[in-house]
Amino acid sequence: MTFEKGGLAEVSALIEEPKSKPSADEKGTPAPHFPEHPLKPQRNYGAFLNTLGSTDHKVLGILYLVFALAAGILGGAFAGVIRAQLTSSNLEVVSPEVYNMMVTMHASVMIFFVIIPAMAGFGNYLVPLMIGARDMAFPRMNAFSFWILIPAAILALGSFFVEGGAAQAGWTAYPPLSLKEYSGGPGVDMWVLAVHLAGISSITGAINFIVTIFNMRCPGMSLMKMPLFVWTWLVNAWMILVGTPVLAGAVTMILTDRAFGTNFFKPASGGDPVLYQHLFWFYSHPAVYIMVLPGFGIISHVLASFSRKRIFGYVGMVWAIALIGVIGFLVWGHHMFSAGISPSLRLYFSFMTMLIALPTGIKIFSWLATMWGGTIRFTAAMKFAFGFVSLFTIGGFGGLYLANVPFDIQVHDSYFVVGHFHYVLVGGSIMAMFAGAYFFFPKMAGRFLDEKLGNLVFWLWFIGVNVTFLPMHLLGVMGMARRIWQYRPEFEALNAVVSLGYVFMAAAGVIFVYSIVKALRQPRIDPSIQDPWHINDVQQTLIWAVPSPPPAYNFDKIPVIK
Amino acid sequence: MLIMKFVNDFTGRSPLGRHCTVHLKTILTLGLLCVASGAYAQAGPGLDDPITNWINEPVTSIAREVRNNFWFLTLMFAPFLIIPQLVLLIGIFKFKDSANRKPATFHENVPLEIAWTAIPALVLVVTAVSSFPLIKKIETPPPADVRIEVIGHQFFWEYRYPEYGIAMSNEPLVLPKGENIVADLTSVDVNHAFWVPAFGVKMDCVPGRINQIWWNVEKTGWYKGQCAELCGALHAAMLLDVHVVEPAEFEAWIDAKLAELNGEPGDAAGAGESIAEQADIDDAENQEADPIRREVDFINPPLDEQGRATDAATETTE
Repeated sequence: MTFEKGGLAEVSALIEEPKSKPSADEKGTPAPHFPEHPLKPQRNYGAFLNTLGSTDHKVLGILYLVFALAAGILGGAFAGVIRAQLTSSNLEVVSPEVYNMMVTMHASVMIFFVIIPAMAGFGNYLVPLMIGARDMAFPRMNAFSFWILIPAAILALGSFFVEGGAAQAGWTAYPPLSLKEYSGGPGVDMWVLAVHLAGISSITGAINFIVTIFNMRCPGMSLMKMPLFVWTWLVNAWMILVGTPVLAGAVTMILTDRAFGTNFFKPASGGDPVLYQHLFWFYSHPAVYIMVLPGFGIISHVLASFSRKRIFGYVGMVWAIALIGVIGFLVWGHHMFSAGISPSLRLYFSFMTMLIALPTGIKIFSWLATMWGGTIRFTAAMKFAFGFVSLFTIGGFGGLYLANVPFDIQVHDSYFVVGHFHYVLVGGSIMAMFAGAYFFFPKMAGRFLDEKLGNLVFWLWFIGVNVTFLPMHLLGVMGMARRIWQYRPEFEALNAVVSLGYVFMAAAGVIFVYSIVKALRQPRIDPSIQDPWHINDVQQTLIWAVPSPPPAYNFDKIPVIK
Repeated sequence: MLIMKFVNDFTGRSPLGRHCTVHLKTILTLGLLCVASGAYAQAGPGLDDPITNWINEPVTSIAREVRNNFWFLTLMFAPFLIIPQLVLLIGIFKFKDSANRKPATFHENVPLEIAWTAIPALVLVVTAVSSFPLIKKIETPPPADVRIEVIGHQFFWEYRYPEYGIAMSNEPLVLPKGENIVADLTSVDVNHAFWVPAFGVKMDCVPGRINQIWWNVEKTGWYKGQCAELCGALHAAMLLDVHVVEPAEFEAWIDAKLAELNGEPGDAAGAGESIAEQADIDDAENQEADPIRREVDFINPPLDEQGRATDAATETTE
């Protein structure tokens, strides 16, 4: 079989190949780069401590995912408080201060503790398996990347219990609102430190991914043979590495302004609040791509697998991913069209924002072409992948409008924007995480998630996303501003619909958690089953050529790709 | 052709029709969504209201052009929303797994890939260029007939008419119809954003900076707006109202205002107390005259009952 781009020829056969001919081991000369035997087995401290002390990328990947799930329940609960407050125009479910805390922490938790860690979890678990490595390049740093999220979460959530409560300045934390004069109490300080720790986690993780992907691919796995998920993580890691330090710098300036009397953002002393917006969005716009790129990878795998086809336009996809990684850093100004930036900047950022629609469009069209002509199996994962393509297209469509300066000025900081980015993040990233969970669960846990429940979760989620976030667009066009605790009575009817949609999504979340618990109580499938979905004859990815779940150090022999 | 096939598939007249149960759900969902959104769009009082009617009845040339630009964008972008969704839907109908069919093996088509890069690129350039004149119009204010200064406070608006020496807060902004209004925006504490949806203008009020916007309202009436940038606990209460009147009426209002202000000792722009008192009187008058003004208060009373209202908030409420 000849090699084709984007897939690995005869992987399964290759892994077993060394048995049939004398290996380096038998000759007594170890292979130059890879130890022939797996590294020393870890000492056994019992299942619990083994998990906590593990440096195995698979264990850490699952820890990331469990952490993200737990944080997701919390972030979802915060959203519930917001929606309860906004069900009608003049309710007072919570005080305006608590409402602002909820707005701030819902965003912060969902971004820093749910989507980014969940994508890191999938990456940790899948990338070494997909490139034929036994672990990440720096296993201990990998563990550090995960465990530093715990103090980050404690700081962020602990701020609810300090004087003055959690940060109320929004996750954007625009100064001067986030400065001492307007946000007293340690809430914002704790939030800043939590962002620092989460940022350290992201940066060390990104370094790990880059080094792993560049150095630990198995022999024969050239860059253009890497599965798309690995490509998305490679670009993603670079984006994290470039962007996150800038965010850390911006929030550090807030911290020093608050604590040490510096004047970066204090207008009275010559500081400039708009500077913060530039620095913040330099990270936080690429963060949107950081949150969705690995999702792109997952969707590519799921769509191709259950269509029984190869991914369409692999080379184009790779270039699209890389272009998103580059252009993603050149569009931050569209968050500031109404902040008073110069006309030429408005034009430039408008143009660049439209430009980034091109690689995104290439990806959507390529997914459609991947599915076209295949034999589609409607597994739960596949449904989520279809849902992703559908909803992400709507989200991107809203983004095209927002790239347009005059219309953006009109709906900026309105619910149109809220609807838009929730389509991208909930209909996109989280939908992709669901697809990934259903698709990779048999590999990770050696058990299948219940497909019937999965079907239910999908429909509840799909309907919920649309019922929740579609009316938000309309609300924004009608003139409802973001982050308001009560609103004009004109907006009541649509807000009631939005709150109804939340119920659908919450139900989906509960059923999803239940189905995980249910699956884990079932007996395992035979671990020797490498390819539980029966897809690898077409896909030829290494991850479906190892036992389910894979043993420690993944591969007895490092596979060789022809 | 494709659509007919789609219809046949769906109605069960083709072999694929037996998979209708799956598709029925899709159709039902989409239908339900459309009906629900449509119904609520109709049922909600929203689109006819002054705060929202910029789409139906724009009252400034900027709002009209933003509206027109919006529909142009929709026209240009719609294919990129509809085609993927249709292809996805048709694909789901058409390519269900069956034992007697083998999956296609194509996975590259360079002309196709070039096409779906180049065509969107062309459309994007057209739409981007189409908005240039409007951006220029927004960016370059014409000679001002009336200059105003809008100053954001936590949590109320201060308006000044520098040409007349008037400063006021806690009252509706009064403007003449058909004249070019040029507004300088700033803030004394945190970021705010001045937004009147009906005018199609929005700009941040940033402390230490002065941003400029302009508009020209063609119709008299009351227009609602709101602070659009999170500015603290009472952000939601930072509503604003604009009363657009005939130019003659505006002159009269200016005279009356000046007389009121000069009746008090002290300089109009400098004496905060007198302005605040004046605002109270004016506000009470407005409450009787203007239904919208009364509605504004829906948001304020609960804040007071809780005793959380700051000095600023007390000013807003009373």
